[in-house]
Amino acid sequence: MDWKTAGYRNEPGFLNQNSMGMRKKILINILLLTVMLFSTVALIGFIIWNKPHRSVRDATAVETNAVALYHALSHDSATMKTFFLNKVVAVSGKIKQVQQNREGARVILLETSIPGASVNCTMEENTGSFKAGNTIQIKGICIGYINGDPDIGLPGDVFLTRCYTSF
Amino acid sequence: MKINFLLTVVLFLVFQSAGAQVYYTKNGNVTFFSKSPLQDIEAENNQVISVMNIQTGELQFSLLNNAFHFPKAKMEEDFNENYMESNKYPRSGFKGMVTDINAVDFTKDGTYPVAVKGDLTIHGVTKTITAKGAIIVSKGTISAVSSFTVFVKDYGIKIPNIVSNNIAERIKISVNCSYQEK
Repeated sequence: MDWKTAGYRNEPGFLNQNSMGMRKKILINILLLTVMLFSTVALIGFIIWNKPHRSVRDATAVETNAVALYHALSHDSATMKTFFLNKVVAVSGKIKQVQQNREGARVILLETSIPGASVNCTMEENTGSFKAGNTIQIKGICIGYINGDPDIGLPGDVFLTRCYTSF
Repeated sequence: MKINFLLTVVLFLVFQSAGAQVYYTKNGNVTFFSKSPLQDIEAENNQVISVMNIQTGELQFSLLNNAFHFPKAKMEEDFNENYMESNKYPRSGFKGMVTDINAVDFTKDGTYPVAVKGDLTIHGVTKTITAKGAIIVSKGTISAVSSFTVFVKDYGIKIPNIVSNNIAERIKISVNCSYQEK
């Protein structure tokens, strides 16, 4: 038995109404799914876009000292670079000098085995007091080594950013 | 013997005077600013080594690209991984001259407008640029400021179409350094 013989012939609007209702439902569902999909994508995008910078203070650090870190990075060793670069490191060493950069942030220079060369640490906060000659451990992101100018006898530095003191 | 002694003294004095002509910083400041319809992006780098010879006008800058700090972590990630390819091209630099260094009186406080010309290397591409700037002499300290514009396409930096509304084609670079005597 098909629909023609089932008495539907006497109700000409029935099929259309039923079919229209189904279509509406399907359309609404598709619309809802699309909105949900877009909202999810937008939410994920928003979360990724606004994800915070990694927390240096709470990160697990690679421990080293200023002399070893300087030697490792200034000697262009690929293995050592992979070990330290862009990693959070905790560097212990003797304070050579405390300076301020153009932005007013404190910069602590740690002694290395080469005169004039330092592990150059830009601090995130200007708290605490630091004296040249004191031993300290600084935790920060190791961004690498920049050559100085050998022609004028200026050695390069190894740089750490977003630093905190760690004990 | 006397000649050797005199030669040593002369050489010592020559090197002493040459040394006094060289100024440097290891914590210079470079910022860049990108203005686009959707968003402005500004990043800062305070780990810039710069050397200036105030007698010859020779000037150089060197920085690590991954030292640029952005307000958002994702911007920093995209900058290093997608645009600057910092693993492949870790450094940017400039080597050139202050072409009118003689116009600066380093014994007298003041702000002296200067012009700079030299080779700027970004993303492994080197281009000759000229820029205006100023050397500031104040109470025995020397600092230098400059700002100029670069086009990202000149340095082979590809911006995908999908984010082209977010990142400007022209980037304003500002330099701000306080020098100390070598």
